[in-house]
Amino acid sequence: MANIAAQRIKREFKEVIKSEEVAKCAIKVELVNDNYTELKGEIAGPPDTPYEGGNFVLEIRVPETYPFNPPKVRFITKIWHPNISSVTGAICLDILKDQWAAAMTLRTVLLSLQALLSAAEPDDPQDAVVAKQFKENIDMFQMTARHWTNVYAGGPHVNTEFNEKIKRLQDMGVDDHQARVALSSYNWDLERATEQLFTARLTLVIFV
Amino acid sequence: MSEKSENAKVHPSESGSGSGATDGEDKKDGSTFECNICLDTARDAVVSMCGHLFCWPCLHQWLETKPNNQVCPVCKAVINKDKVVPLYGRGSTNQQDPREKLPPRPSGQRTEPEPGSAFSGFGLGENGFHMSFGIGVFPFGFFTSMFNFGELRPSAAPRGTPQHMEEQFLSKLFLWLALLFLAWLIFA
Repeated sequence: MANIAAQRIKREFKEVIKSEEVAKCAIKVELVNDNYTELKGEIAGPPDTPYEGGNFVLEIRVPETYPFNPPKVRFITKIWHPNISSVTGAICLDILKDQWAAAMTLRTVLLSLQALLSAAEPDDPQDAVVAKQFKENIDMFQMTARHWTNVYAGGPHVNTEFNEKIKRLQDMGVDDHQARVALSSYNWDLERATEQLFTARLTLVIFV
Repeated sequence: MSEKSENAKVHPSESGSGSGATDGEDKKDGSTFECNICLDTARDAVVSMCGHLFCWPCLHQWLETKPNNQVCPVCKAVINKDKVVPLYGRGSTNQQDPREKLPPRPSGQRTEPEPGSAFSGFGLGENGFHMSFGIGVFPFGFFTSMFNFGELRPSAAPRGTPQHMEEQFLSKLFLWLALLFLAWLIFA
């Protein structure tokens, strides 16, 4: 790794550890390997959002050309958000792409991601299904996002109705995450989710 | 980010300290002179028009990375290689001239004061004398203006009439005359 990248990450790492956000448990950074090329970030779900109370883990890969090019960041914790892929965790955020500036740091990136959680951009989506739900049925979106926060990020709000529907699908032999994705995509309409899951299976069987 | 930009502003009272501002322990003062890109004490320091401090090699690399969209890494103001100001601290003259290193740091821009009597000697001073060189096309211009080549004649006679025949004859005659004249010009 280029010297400047490693040097800078070391300094930033210290900066984040000392920062007041860490003191408030809002953000956190950990080393994954010794040569500072890969880090694990963590952000707290911002208050007054469906993500409140959750802890979201991020994978941060530092390119050799850092800080002239942005770090590669994705969510490891599954999350229901218009600008974050519910499948891969890929993030659509301008500062992680063309709006990156060399003076930005791990701290500012993590704080920007936290800001993204409280202010989604459904017109520039990463996950089209989530963005559609966000625009057409905001209440359904918030309930779904809160449920995902509860299940994957340790959020406090348990949605018994949603859990029951997932249980029904699990009883039919569907994996719980798959069931959750299908139900979330169809506004928790059990019939349509079941239909989608089983026609998909049927085509797969026919295809095989 | 805003506090970072505050930090990067150089206080005039301290600007003379140049390179040796940090002792490692003395973080509070040293951070004032940290490059906004490598976060280390700025070497070959330059400052942008928006007031942000960088090492020249760091800023150069940033400008190379985004040649089409050159913005300040801190505040995203438009910046330009020619519009950054190098900072020369006291004592830095002992060091090697930073411009000898690659990439060269842009030099400071200073304008000479205007001299008192500005008599420029009939405008023939440094760049008062002009000379031009060209080739005219006199004969051809002459022909076209005299014989009306390429232009519609005002009264073209209808085909078949004696006048038409006469005109044809005349135009051929003049054409031959012109060609002869040309040949004479070339071979004489």
